[in-house]
Amino acid sequence: MSEKSLVVHVARFARALREREILVSPADEVDAVTALTLVDLSDRAEVRQALRVALKIRPRDAGAFDELFKRFWESGPAAADPGRSSRPASPPAALLRRQGAAPGSEPESRDLERDVAVGDLPGYSPEALLRKKPFEECTESDLRAMERLLERAAYRLATCRSRRLVPTRGRGAVDLRRSFRKAVETDGEFLRLARRARAVEEPRLVVLCDTSGSMDAHTRFLLCFLLALKRAVRRTEIFVFNTALTRLTPWLSPARIGSTLERLAAEVPDWSGGTRIGESLAEFVARHLDEMVDGKTVVIVVSDGLDRGDTAILGAAMRAIRSRARRVIWLNPLMGDPRFEPTARGMEAALPFVDLLASAHNLESLERLIPRLAA
Amino acid sequence: MKAEIRAMQEAMERHGYIADPAIATAVFLAREMKKPLLIEGDAGVGKTEVAKVLARLLDTELIRLQCYEGLDVSTALYEWDYPRQMLRVRMAAEGSDPSLTEQVIFSRAYLLERPLLKAITRREGSPVLLVDEVDRADDGFEAFLLEVLSEFQVTIPEIGTIRAEHVPYVILTSNRSREIGDALRRRCLYLYIEHPTLEKEVRIIRARVPEAGERLAGQIGRFLQALRQRRLLKSPGAAETIDWAQALVRLHRDELDPEIVQQTLGCILKDRNDLRDLTPSDLSPLVRQARGIEVPAS
Repeated sequence: MSEKSLVVHVARFARALREREILVSPADEVDAVTALTLVDLSDRAEVRQALRVALKIRPRDAGAFDELFKRFWESGPAAADPGRSSRPASPPAALLRRQGAAPGSEPESRDLERDVAVGDLPGYSPEALLRKKPFEECTESDLRAMERLLERAAYRLATCRSRRLVPTRGRGAVDLRRSFRKAVETDGEFLRLARRARAVEEPRLVVLCDTSGSMDAHTRFLLCFLLALKRAVRRTEIFVFNTALTRLTPWLSPARIGSTLERLAAEVPDWSGGTRIGESLAEFVARHLDEMVDGKTVVIVVSDGLDRGDTAILGAAMRAIRSRARRVIWLNPLMGDPRFEPTARGMEAALPFVDLLASAHNLESLERLIPRLAA
Repeated sequence: MKAEIRAMQEAMERHGYIADPAIATAVFLAREMKKPLLIEGDAGVGKTEVAKVLARLLDTELIRLQCYEGLDVSTALYEWDYPRQMLRVRMAAEGSDPSLTEQVIFSRAYLLERPLLKAITRREGSPVLLVDEVDRADDGFEAFLLEVLSEFQVTIPEIGTIRAEHVPYVILTSNRSREIGDALRRRCLYLYIEHPTLEKEVRIIRARVPEAGERLAGQIGRFLQALRQRRLLKSPGAAETIDWAQALVRLHRDELDPEIVQQTLGCILKDRNDLRDLTPSDLSPLVRQARGIEVPAS
């Protein structure tokens, strides 16, 4: 294979990877071409290894990479050039495909579906909904109010201090390096000591949000909540789950909150379906826990705890999360109902590993939550 | 397989590291392309060991920077030797040393070299620079590291820019306790080390614990392979395997039985919950499975 055709093949392969959401930069492509000139091109396994190393393929992408590699390099690179058409148009569409949405859930029938879903909620009646006025519809001003609220929440969450030392004007440990530097200017006399103290860290948040049918009534409100949260706390990872887990973060751009909300909201009723909280959280533990949760991370689970799966799995997953995270907060929209008791089977299994169980069904409940967020 | 890659694999093996083709290819490419190699994988799969064995087989110095939260420039790069500088300044103030200028006390003689600077200024050929557990350092340090790794030069305000005499071979390791920034990852080549296969694991035991017989090594390997299939909070790595094999050899065992496994389980399972979840009734089928081929169940 000539070097030029190598470049073309690598470029095509990289594009195919990008279409599968495996981010590969042009610099990586250059590395890949260089690497391929160094290995035995007739040895498939070696070519695969070299490409994995040079394109920096992470273990979570390894499956998709191998599959694509097989199609691409083993059947001859020219044959497989997957077109753009196979690419999902938007995240909800991708979600739909994965979760096998019910056919016929067209936008026209959305309102009807929501009503049905609300009627299904245990401990919930349409009147109760009306009285509490949850955020069935989120207006611009509601969104702004929520953002202001969450900025304050973010400040509360940020009480965590790093071990990194930064210069301070106030109290702190003596910073020898800077003190000495100043002393040199004054003939070796330490007139004023420079000090440093531990830096205030930006909090890290991981939100796991249930979007199953029983949560339908709250989904719009929760979407607002999540988007506002993402804007207030930069390092927020957002996942949604019902029967499977989906990482939403790459799709949420805080800069375009309005349009993102519109795009997602348009699809919201279709998200509904059964819940498998335990399996979804277990998947989070297996694939993302190590990278995304550390001693400074607050994990927020938003769910009604109505699990149709195995609660032992849910318990084990919550235990794993609890053992790593700084705090685990469970927001349960059903708690808006005064008759609520956390008796859902899933809720019972999760409760021992939750630091704070609170309601989240309207702005007022969020407001009450804020003072309790401080660790 | 390319001859050089095979040679790399054999050289690593001669120095006591059983490398599969993936590892050998990655190390070979990193050396040829003069790029840092970022290695990720679970604890104990042999990430740090790659750097050590590379230094041995290149017959060069290994310079290690252990990362931790709060690691800063004065620990990683350089620090001025304050007590000596102070002494010199005091002497000058008392008039016993008229030759003092600022250049004197801010010269290389008063500079304490920390690992990164040491790796750049080494005269006798390229060293291996191991930046261990880079995921533990702060994001800010990562950005700084990126700068050093892309230019291999360091600017010290009082002295000026110091350029690398020989570009070091750089190995970074990460336990993935947090995601490494994209910029740093892109600067490196990337290797993810999986848990060893049965065949590789047995070879590792044989290489590192030669006192363990073929039978014991095989049983240990099969036991660990089966154990890793379970849902564990902390999967044992090759390092644990080696520890365990050594423990069993010290106890003069040449095969596994449920009792000895129960007693020495602490060598491989290091989480209380994992230990508790593995009840004796779970253990005996695992042991039977491990002994499988040699001792058919009667």
